[in-house]
Amino acid sequence: MDPQLTSQIVPTEEVALIEECLSRLIEDTGANHVLLLDKSGQVIASQGDGNRQDITALGALIAGTFASSREVAKLLREKDFRMLFQQGVHDNVFIALIEEQWILCIIFNKGTHIGLVKVLTKKATDDLGSVLERVRQQHKARDDVLGSSFRTSMEDTIDLLFRD
Amino acid sequence: MALINVAAREIHCKIVYYGPGMGGKTSNLQYIHAQVSKEAKGELLSIATETERTLFFDFLPLDLGKVRGFQTRFHLYTVPGQVLYERTRVAVLNGADGVVFVADSQKHKLEDNIKSLRELAVNITKQNKKFQDFPVVLQYNKRDVPGALPVATLDKYLNTMNWQRYEGIATTGVGIFDTLKAISKLVISKL
Repeated sequence: MDPQLTSQIVPTEEVALIEECLSRLIEDTGANHVLLLDKSGQVIASQGDGNRQDITALGALIAGTFASSREVAKLLREKDFRMLFQQGVHDNVFIALIEEQWILCIIFNKGTHIGLVKVLTKKATDDLGSVLERVRQQHKARDDVLGSSFRTSMEDTIDLLFRD
Repeated sequence: MALINVAAREIHCKIVYYGPGMGGKTSNLQYIHAQVSKEAKGELLSIATETERTLFFDFLPLDLGKVRGFQTRFHLYTVPGQVLYERTRVAVLNGADGVVFVADSQKHKLEDNIKSLRELAVNITKQNKKFQDFPVVLQYNKRDVPGALPVATLDKYLNTMNWQRYEGIATTGVGIFDTLKAISKLVISKL
C-alpha cells in the first residue's frame, strides 16, 4: 500500500516520552501550554493549563497557519519556515517544525523570555525528532492495534450517527 | 495520514471538502453541524471574508465516541474555492485522509468543476500520494437548480475514476449524510 496512506501509529511508550518532553519544556520555560501536532492539525499530545477547551480548534488553526507559511516560503524560493512567532499583548505563540511531519507549539506570556523559549524549543524538537523517527520505523500491523472487527463496528457507528 | 494514538486510545482522520467556488462546500458542513447530535460535534469554525466567502477554511470536529475502545474523531475541513486561493487549498489539503469533491451541477460551472478536479489531482500527487488510490467521493450539488446538467453528463466529465457519487442539495440536506457516510467508511477502510 502507498506508505502515505497508511496510518501513523504512536505507541504508548512513545506517547509517554512525548508527554515527558512537553512537561519538561513547560517547567523549564514557565510557558502556559505546549502542544504537539501532526501536520494535518491533529493533536498528538498536550500539556499545561488543564482547563483549555479549545485544543482541537487550536490544533487546526496552528497547523493551517504553518501550512500557509510553507506556501509563502515556496513562493519566496525558501525551503520552509521552520519557526513562527506570534506576539500578542498578553500571550505569545511560538511554533517550530519537527522533521516536516510534526509541529511543536508553545503558548507563553510576558513572564517568559522568547530567547529562552527558542533555545529550549530547539532542544525539545531534537528529542521529539528522534521519537518521530522511531514512530516512522514502526511497522505495527493495523489489526494488532485496532482488532479485526474494528472496521465493522466503525461502519455501524457511522450509520448510527451520520443521519438527518 | 490518519493518526492512531495508542496511549490515549484515539484515532483522528482528516476529511477535506474540495471544489469550485460557491459550489456548496461550506453549506455541507453547516448542514452537518446543524443535524449531528450535540455530543458528537464541536464548534463550527469558519475563517471567512466579510461577505461570508471562505478565506482560509471551515473546520468541524466530529466525535464518534468510543468504537472498540478507541475514541474516534473525524475532522472536516473545507477549502476556499475561488481560483485566487490555490495556495491556500494546498495548505488545507495537507495531511488529508480523504476528499469529498463538491461539484456544481449548473451548466456554466462545468469547466470550473473540471479545472478544480484537475487541480486536486495535482495537489494530491504533490503530497507524494497516488491520486488513483486516494479516497475520493463525488457530490453533484445543486440538483434543484433549473437546467442542472444531467448526471450522465457530469459522470462523463468528472467521474472518470469511477468514484462513489451522490446527488445533493446542500441547502436542504439532500445527499449530505450519504456523502459523509461514504467518505468516512472509505477513509476507515484505508486505516
